[in-house]
Amino acid sequence: MAFIRRRAKADDVPVSSFSDIAFLLIIFFILVTSLEQFAGFKAALPAGEQSTQEAEEEMPTVKMHDGRITMNEDTVTIEQLHERLKAMNLAERETDEERIVIIEATGRVEYQVYFEVMAAISHAGGVIAIIKEGD
Amino acid sequence: MRMKKRRRNAVMVPVASMGDIAFLLIIFFMLCSNFAKEAGLQIKPARAFDLDALQESNISVSIDETGDIYLQGILMEDVEVVEWGIKALLEGRTEDLEKVVMFKCDREIDKSIYEPVLSAISEAGGIIAAIGEEAGTRDN
Repeated sequence: MAFIRRRAKADDVPVSSFSDIAFLLIIFFILVTSLEQFAGFKAALPAGEQSTQEAEEEMPTVKMHDGRITMNEDTVTIEQLHERLKAMNLAERETDEERIVIIEATGRVEYQVYFEVMAAISHAGGVIAIIKEGD
Repeated sequence: MRMKKRRRNAVMVPVASMGDIAFLLIIFFMLCSNFAKEAGLQIKPARAFDLDALQESNISVSIDETGDIYLQGILMEDVEVVEWGIKALLEGRTEDLEKVVMFKCDREIDKSIYEPVLSAISEAGGIIAAIGEEAGTRDN
């Protein structure tokens, strides 16, 4: 018996809408992508460590109280703080303990002031240690 | 005199490769994109001089202008939840670069809100990358 060979029809996959789908996906990615450039500083705060009163007295301390900044009991502006921290050559000190700068905020202190102080310490190469009110 | 009307040939724009180009663009965006987790949050960033350019991290904590705390763009009930959440996210991460937590806070927020959050991040083992704005770049 002779079989008739059927030629399989070449079925075309419809691809005409592929580019439309692709462009929709591109629009989605463009909308949800964050192209922001971030500026700031990194600060590794020593976690959960208790220091002695004597050790604290030796370390430079920056206090903030109701928007006023003091360093080792002298009232300073943020520019003066930059200069004083720079003069301490914190970045050249060998250990992290030697680089610690204590910050203490009391009263109402907005994040703007806190951020500027942390940025100044971080820029000078210091390690920030936070003293919470009531500690 | 009778003018002859010339029939113009229909110009065909080759569009066969459009789909390929589009998919290449998709692959590019998929590889390069970081999804904006906090797109809807109202945060006025703090400003300072001498800020460094920072790489975006996978973990982010934000405090908006109302004092609400967000971890990965999700509203958190309190600081303890933030600490547990960061601990969970940092689990298994050993490199310092992987432990970076991006911290954004509205500049007018009081320390009673942001200070416990900063402590929670460090207690959870995170390295804080405080995000702000270079001073003098914008006037508002």
